[in-house]
Amino acid sequence: MIRKVVCSALKIPIFHQPKQWLRTTCIRLDLMEFFDDKKNWGEQQIRVGRSWKVDELRLKSNPDLHKLWFVLLKERNMLFTMEHDGKLGHFLFPNPERIDKVEESMSNIETVVRERNRAYYLLETGETGERPGAEIENFLGLQEYVQHKEYAVPEKENKEYLEEKEAEPKSSHEEKTWFLRRWRVKQRKFARAELRRKQFEVIHILRNFPDCDKEVLKEKYPEVNVDRYITRLKSRNYENLIGLSIHQLRCLTRKI
Amino acid sequence: MSTRWYPLFQPGNPQLRVFLPNFWMKLIRPYAEDDPRPIFPNRVHFIVSMEMTRHDVKNYLKKIYNVDTIAVRTEIRMGKTKEVGKERMVTKEDDYKIAYVTLPEGQDFTFPDIYPKDKVDSKVEDEKKQMENMKTGLKRVKDVTKMKPDLPGWFT
Repeated sequence: MIRKVVCSALKIPIFHQPKQWLRTTCIRLDLMEFFDDKKNWGEQQIRVGRSWKVDELRLKSNPDLHKLWFVLLKERNMLFTMEHDGKLGHFLFPNPERIDKVEESMSNIETVVRERNRAYYLLETGETGERPGAEIENFLGLQEYVQHKEYAVPEKENKEYLEEKEAEPKSSHEEKTWFLRRWRVKQRKFARAELRRKQFEVIHILRNFPDCDKEVLKEKYPEVNVDRYITRLKSRNYENLIGLSIHQLRCLTRKI
Repeated sequence: MSTRWYPLFQPGNPQLRVFLPNFWMKLIRPYAEDDPRPIFPNRVHFIVSMEMTRHDVKNYLKKIYNVDTIAVRTEIRMGKTKEVGKERMVTKEDDYKIAYVTLPEGQDFTFPDIYPKDKVDSKVEDEKKQMENMKTGLKRVKDVTKMKPDLPGWFT
């Protein structure tokens, strides 16, 4: 049976034959694993593959992800070691994007594992096994997601917690409504400006590229009424102006 | 073994198991070349993530790298404050934690020469030569197209 085993974090996977004459564990170099392959010492450019994508990792089993995590962990430690020493001696650390690729792969593994964990707990217990939290109204009147903290002592007996709670800012209902009114006015203003910006984008596209695909444009700008601007720009052509009344012409001369 | 949220420890709880440890460790040179302090052959210096304890360092090395350690000591060092730029803006580097790890007697470790100078210099020389060649090539192209700027590249 052919088994695909990834021996190194970012290299191409190697296909292996039956396990009798080939070992699948990595060579134990102890502390030398903190350093790169000897061939790469002093190179100006080291070629590596890309990071692992979430969709690729979703295909892997949990033991495989676990192994890959440690491979990436060791790779990251190695890259940090090389980078640090390069900075000390003012040498070029080749391809620093390798660190970003490793960190991206690791965060992708975390998302996949977290998805699976949540699904399992929701099926078995009805709750996600993650840190509990709640949406709480803060002193401004806005909803804030607060993550719960674990204590050894109940709330009423916890002196420190009660003192901290006392020291928090508090506000009356009138103060909150005062703030929220002005906050909502500002939010609506920003939303209006955002919509206006998108409308101008649509207008510019229609003006400069009149033969563009209108359906695609509508998909890209779902909030904008694209048909309105198509008809308005069309009606600006000279041919369409013949036969219109003065009132109609005046409506067309207003700014789009 | 991670920088994530740990549940509260109560004596008698089962052992906390972390499946995807988050911690990183960098192997560093013990001291600079001109430093008079002695370098012990079985001592290794690491910069570790700030949340690690001595037990974490020991377990990390044992489980992940199969490295036996006798003793581990940790120290937090404050990052240096610098004045940067013309306006001398005050900036501070991040704080870091150093772990001084003692290996068993007989197991010596010397920090290798990761950036061998002659290899690095030869590579830099190669790149400089490449740049020179590119410059001469460009100069030739410019000379040919001086009087005829719109001339296509086939003629150069």
